[in-house]
Amino acid sequence: MSTLEDPAAGAVPALYPFPAPGRRIAAPARSDSAAALAEARRSAEEKAAEIVRLRWQVAEVAGDELAECAQEMAIRFAAGGRLFAFGNGGGSADAQQVATAFLHPAYGLSLPALSLTGDVAVVTALSNDVGFEAVFARQLATLGRRGDIALGLSTSGGSFNVLRALEEAAHQGMLTIGLAGDQGGRMAGLGLLDYLFVIPSSSAHRVQEAQATVYHVLWELTQRALGVNPPGTG
Amino acid sequence: MPVTSTMHPAVGAAFLRRDRAGRALAADAERVALACREMASRFRRGGKLIVFGNGGCGTDAAHITAEFMHPVIVGRRTLPALALSNDCATVTGVSGREGLAEAFAHQVRRWADPADMALGISRDGRCENVLRGLETAGELGLLTVALTGGDGGITAGRGVADHLLAVDSDDPAVVKEVHVTLCHLLWELVHVFFEKAGPVGEGAR
Repeated sequence: MSTLEDPAAGAVPALYPFPAPGRRIAAPARSDSAAALAEARRSAEEKAAEIVRLRWQVAEVAGDELAECAQEMAIRFAAGGRLFAFGNGGGSADAQQVATAFLHPAYGLSLPALSLTGDVAVVTALSNDVGFEAVFARQLATLGRRGDIALGLSTSGGSFNVLRALEEAAHQGMLTIGLAGDQGGRMAGLGLLDYLFVIPSSSAHRVQEAQATVYHVLWELTQRALGVNPPGTG
Repeated sequence: MPVTSTMHPAVGAAFLRRDRAGRALAADAERVALACREMASRFRRGGKLIVFGNGGCGTDAAHITAEFMHPVIVGRRTLPALALSNDCATVTGVSGREGLAEAFAHQVRRWADPADMALGISRDGRCENVLRGLETAGELGLLTVALTGGDGGITAGRGVADHLLAVDSDDPAVVKEVHVTLCHLLWELVHVFFEKAGPVGEGAR
């Protein structure tokens, strides 16, 4: 019942099925629609319960290490260190969120933080001229210094450009923090990270959601370590 | 779920603050599903998703755009989505000349086709430019969806969204985290409605 035509020739349509130009996608029959609504609701309930469970799992496994890591971050900030965050895709959005959370916080101290994914001119220049795997490492090599903090995000733990940047950061004597998912992938095998937080889920979406909690909690605990408590907690 | 007694108290408190809003999302499942049913119908008509928000909500806009444009599951259909907060030149340009309140509405007017959808993201529902973007989209016949927090702010009061999904928390960090889950659900459930429409093309599953 699909009105779709065969994908056009070329590499991109082979990746994704595209609706043919000018053609609309067939609407479902009414009974299908009711079944879809029930399935969609059930799926939303399951996913919501899953991320609640996953957050508690992370809290229990990594709680103490999160507190310790935030303490180390606070020490770096207090000594003039800056935070650099980087990731790909959704991770790049997270990197920007990390940067703005520290730089323009809801409350507390504004701390220097930069997302290495924010400058599209720099990112595409490095990708085009040097290679995508160098896109964050090169920026750290230029901007970073001993005493800074590097935070790399990869849901799979296998993003080469994130791994290369963490290596560069470690080489420079920066505090290195990795956020990964599932088993931690290659990031877990690096063996040079000061802190590695692995979200134990095979769903990239749930991993990203729990990673958001991890970096927000790191932010909150960093503020606490610098003497700022959340509003209403004294 | 109890916090283990050995856990650092500040860590336990931080995670506990996320628990209620996370659980409350499950109770909103029907509301989310209904929004996605209408979104799927718009995509079927050839509509695109136009997303906008300020600060960290702008990163959510970029994130959900990536979900639709480049599905995490190979073979899923790519769907058209555009984040208006990404273009710093235009956002700061419009803000400088016409004012921040027009930053998204201006772009919506240029980009919107009647079959489109507008998704405005604001953690407290009080971002004037997000409201203006949604209002403008509504006037142009777009489906309007708002992600907010707390009481939904004036987004709820002014009734500018066909679908209002408000996270039950006043903590902006917690609202953001649940928004990330909501963005993932919007993508996933739109595809559920596509699947139920029958085969959606070669390679789809």
